Amino acid sequence: MTEQGTTHVIEVTINGRLYSRTVEARQLLVHFLRDTLDLTGTHIGCDTGSCGACSIILNGKLVKSCMMLAPQADGAVIETVEGLAQDGELNPLQESFSRNHGLQCGYCTPGMLMSAKALLMADPHPTDEAIRLALAGNLCRCTGYTTIVAAVRAASEQPAESSSTPPALGSGERAV
Amino acid sequence: MLLKSVNYVRPESVSEALDILSSNEGAAPLAGGQSLTNVLKHRVASVDLLVDISALGELRTITRKGDGSIEVGACATYDEIDHSPDVRAGHDILAREASHIEDQQIRNRGTIGGNCCLSDPTNNLPPLLVALNATMNIRAVASTRQVAAEDFFKGYFLTALEPGELLVSITIPPIPVGAGAGYVSLSVAADSKTIVRAAALVRVNGVIEEARVVLARVASVPIRHYAMEEALRGVAPTAESVRAAAEKIGSDVEPIADGHGSSEYRREMAKVVARRAVLAAIEEGGRK
Repeated sequence: MTEQGTTHVIEVTINGRLYSRTVEARQLLVHFLRDTLDLTGTHIGCDTGSCGACSIILNGKLVKSCMMLAPQADGAVIETVEGLAQDGELNPLQESFSRNHGLQCGYCTPGMLMSAKALLMADPHPTDEAIRLALAGNLCRCTGYTTIVAAVRAASEQPAESSSTPPALGSGERAV
Repeated sequence: MLLKSVNYVRPESVSEALDILSSNEGAAPLAGGQSLTNVLKHRVASVDLLVDISALGELRTITRKGDGSIEVGACATYDEIDHSPDVRAGHDILAREASHIEDQQIRNRGTIGGNCCLSDPTNNLPPLLVALNATMNIRAVASTRQVAAEDFFKGYFLTALEPGELLVSITIPPIPVGAGAGYVSLSVAADSKTIVRAAALVRVNGVIEEARVVLARVASVPIRHYAMEEALRGVAPTAESVRAAAEKIGSDVEPIADGHGSSEYRREMAKVVARRAVLAAIEEGGRK
């Protein structure tokens, strides 16, 4: 232990890739993702555990990455928003957010997507009430939530093994 | 946010955690971290060494005993309590209350031990544990002791824990035959910080034979209201008699005043939530 605080070598599997880095004890997990690994899809909103923009899935459980220290994640398996799209194809949840206008400024979207993913992992066909409860830890200041709930509902109604991608709205590149 | 420099260690066992906590002044246990992380961000407390106990399996077990009591490890998360068949089987009210603390993310990390050891007067579980007559199981390096939940909460952010001690589990006795529990909060909005709340355990056998009525947010810690409990004893379990008993809540409680309510308002609302909690307890007891 030192005046500067301890440092720790941690190994974390993120979206299927193993990372090994030396971190300071005081580094928040969200800063480890964003600053150390440049995985900036995970956002920082309130930095007090209220807004959910930093939500990730850690060992299968939805957590707020601003409410953990990086060394606490040693050995963990993490999913972030970057892991959703595969080979340039949006996953059905992302596609559904796009089709249902489940975002405006998009700042909360990474957290919303991870909360929705965690919900659908546990409950593939949730009621609207279950969707709203599952999103209770995620704040959105644009949409009024209605379109987000609709997006999650629509994604949950897709056949589980569906390989068809719904037609995209409009053209151009969409960043999620 | 960049935290002040801090040291971190993840012990392999409770014994190792206790060794570290007792030999390092300025060491503090880190459980779910859903309050402590913010405490560190705001620098309202100084911690030199975080002892991460969150992953210790021996602190996460939930065990139903032969006598119907349940022992919940201090690091069991709200979500684990919510989904525990053992908790649901005999102490459903604990699972129900754990199920709507904050949000899913926080329920996946926040722990029952952290909820108690923070001793934040707005926290959900302390008044319920006092009402259910829970026992706090505490370990130090070479000793163990048990403290009734009623005696565990000492003040704002203050508990009976001494330096070097760790809350390892909480034992809740079985809900007696004919008894039920009730829990009612008055909040600004659903699941926001509560203005006043009450928890009750009531046993009925024709008349009310025993009642524990606990008020929260009328003092720095959850308090039993003995006068109301006494007024309930021996009376019929009716709305009228419970209303009359709640009138015992008077000038003996002097709640804080803040932007959400004056002291007088809180006192009047304490009567309301206490009455409703007792009636809910009577109803639950009658269903079993």
